[in-house]
Amino acid sequence: MSEIVNFIISQGVDVETVYLLLALPFIATLIVIFRQVIGVKSFGVYTPLVLAFAFWAIGLKYGLAIFVVILVSGTAMRYFLKEFRLLYLPRIAIVLTVISIAILGLLTLAGYLGKMGLAATSILPILIMITLIEKFISTQVEKGIRTATILSIETIIISSAGYYFIVWDRFRDLILNHPEYIILLLVINIILGKWTGLRLREYFRFKDVIKHVDTN
Amino acid sequence: MLTLIRKSSGLLGMNSRNLTYIRPSNLKNAIRLADNKLRSKELLFKAGIPVPKVYGVIKSRAELEKFNWADLPKSFVLKPNHGRGGEGIKVIFGQKKDESWVSTEGKRVTKKDLQNHMMDIFEGFYSLSGISDIAFFEERIQISKTLKPYSYKGIPDIRVIVYNNVPVMAMLRLPTKESEGKANLHLGGIGLGIDVANGISTHAVQRDQLIEKHPDSKLKLSGIRIPYWRKILEISIQCQKISKLGYIGVDIAIDRERGPVVLEVNAHSGLSIQIANLAPLKYRLQKVQGIKVKDEAHGIRITQDLFGGEIEEEIEEISGKQVLGIIETIKIKYQKKEMKGVEEVGKDKSKIEKREEKKLEEIELKAKIDTGAGASSLDKEIAQKLGYGDVINEFDEVIKNLEINQNSKADVLDEQIKEYLEKWGETFSTILIRSSHGISYRLMIKMNIILSGIEIVSRMSVIDRSHLEFPVIIGKKDLIRFIIDPSKKSQITTNVLE
Repeated sequence: MSEIVNFIISQGVDVETVYLLLALPFIATLIVIFRQVIGVKSFGVYTPLVLAFAFWAIGLKYGLAIFVVILVSGTAMRYFLKEFRLLYLPRIAIVLTVISIAILGLLTLAGYLGKMGLAATSILPILIMITLIEKFISTQVEKGIRTATILSIETIIISSAGYYFIVWDRFRDLILNHPEYIILLLVINIILGKWTGLRLREYFRFKDVIKHVDTN
Repeated sequence: MLTLIRKSSGLLGMNSRNLTYIRPSNLKNAIRLADNKLRSKELLFKAGIPVPKVYGVIKSRAELEKFNWADLPKSFVLKPNHGRGGEGIKVIFGQKKDESWVSTEGKRVTKKDLQNHMMDIFEGFYSLSGISDIAFFEERIQISKTLKPYSYKGIPDIRVIVYNNVPVMAMLRLPTKESEGKANLHLGGIGLGIDVANGISTHAVQRDQLIEKHPDSKLKLSGIRIPYWRKILEISIQCQKISKLGYIGVDIAIDRERGPVVLEVNAHSGLSIQIANLAPLKYRLQKVQGIKVKDEAHGIRITQDLFGGEIEEEIEEISGKQVLGIIETIKIKYQKKEMKGVEEVGKDKSKIEKREEKKLEEIELKAKIDTGAGASSLDKEIAQKLGYGDVINEFDEVIKNLEINQNSKADVLDEQIKEYLEKWGETFSTILIRSSHGISYRLMIKMNIILSGIEIVSRMSVIDRSHLEFPVIIGKKDLIRFIIDPSKKSQITTNVLE
């Protein structure tokens, strides 16, 4: 382990906390690469980042299960409430209520089925995931269910990728041994910040245009 | 791989759009202005740009309660001031007797519905960053007749991207059933590429996929000529100047009575326009960068020169035209009547019946190409020899009997001549000539002539040209498919006429 990391730990900071704080900028950079170079959009940087850490906290399997339950119950509720013509904030509060009940149900069911890991999930990651529903619903309203669904699938993909990085032992070793690589991230992000090339995905999006370009 | 990179180098991607174009060209103040629909509308209106009328602005719940609904016309549009991508817009089509309205989707809309919608707007539900917003009522554009067959319920609009005072690319957006009558591409509307030089549609995309026909009406989507095109380009350039957005997307709708009307200006114009046009945008932006553009007309000229696909074709078409000299040899097709003796095999062998037979012949004549003349004309004597003698004589007789003098009324004479024309058939017509001597008539005969190898159907006026050098004059009407070069020498053959 690097001297700096050792020093921090010797001051009483938990090694897990040190690791996660150092991993955060790496995962953020990973999401930026997904977005700027590959073109996987997701809901901004913050949502997939937080989701990746939530997945880490409760495990990918259970994390996905809870997130999907949140999305589905939230969407269903939105459609149900459409008929009642309520104001925005009360409407969101009702959606949150239903989501809370749905998750309680899921956890109870998991306990009943003997899946103690899911039943004993800590509340904080769940709360974090619930806060993401507002963003999801507002995207649904603005861009339609189709775009919102695509964006949430992309968010899940990016978050899962982030999750796998966090739990990857070699990644952990690398970060704890060479925390100075964070400086490198600054350089990478400056380059990405000036990157004007086409995103990988845009090559597919504009394939018909590219076909029509004359090269001479 | 290398060709892929080279081919795609002219494309404008999201990264490049944001960093190379929006960031340096669109200053924060200008973007803020463009995002504020009411303010940008006011600014455009003051500068004389046609915009939809505003019927009322409602800023808060209190104002909503005081709002006098009776002030609204029967049809209108309700919009959030900071809405993006066409979100939160309600289009009201008409009013019902029970004081409720009908939306373009055909749904019944009550006052309560509109109030709720406005509350959502106030909450910032449709605004750019979720900040609280205000709502306003606006004039509903009446769809133009040209575009109506191509639109499902809503109003189509035209997006023109202007950079450095040059319109670089344009797209027509059509509402569909899938997009629920909205013209927004991400909701399933159709994007139609437009030849920016002349306003004719080229390719069509729906959800980033190329399509040929409108999914609802099954009409062909290419080749639609958008009315007021030049005006649309002028307005777009003016909008750039007024809004101070260096990279601007101007949305224009065509009103049935008012013509082009600016709906809004955008600082962040989408990239799908490239697919609809099957043309890379960055390449065009780079081409117009740094050019000093004097005024709108100059900007449009640059567009036409640089990006007009059809213009090139027109030149090709012209160069593909036959070149004529001043004097040409032409051929006239006519039916030669021959009397043939046919032996009748019957009881009376001595009887020989004479039968008339028609044979298609051609005659060559010397013709003068005269762009000063409207219709072509042919010498009377030759026309008679070509088999039109009977009608010509009869025509002369009719004219004589009419006793035309200076006081004759053309409409009365027309009626009398009409009778004969009906009898002669559609090969013949007349032309009225007005001169200082009063009025006179000429006979026109429809015949097929061959000019420089191209056969055209011409109506030739018959006139006595026996004292003139050329028995035939070819006028403007028959010269559409030719270019005239006075220096060209034609091989003159003598008039052959047996």
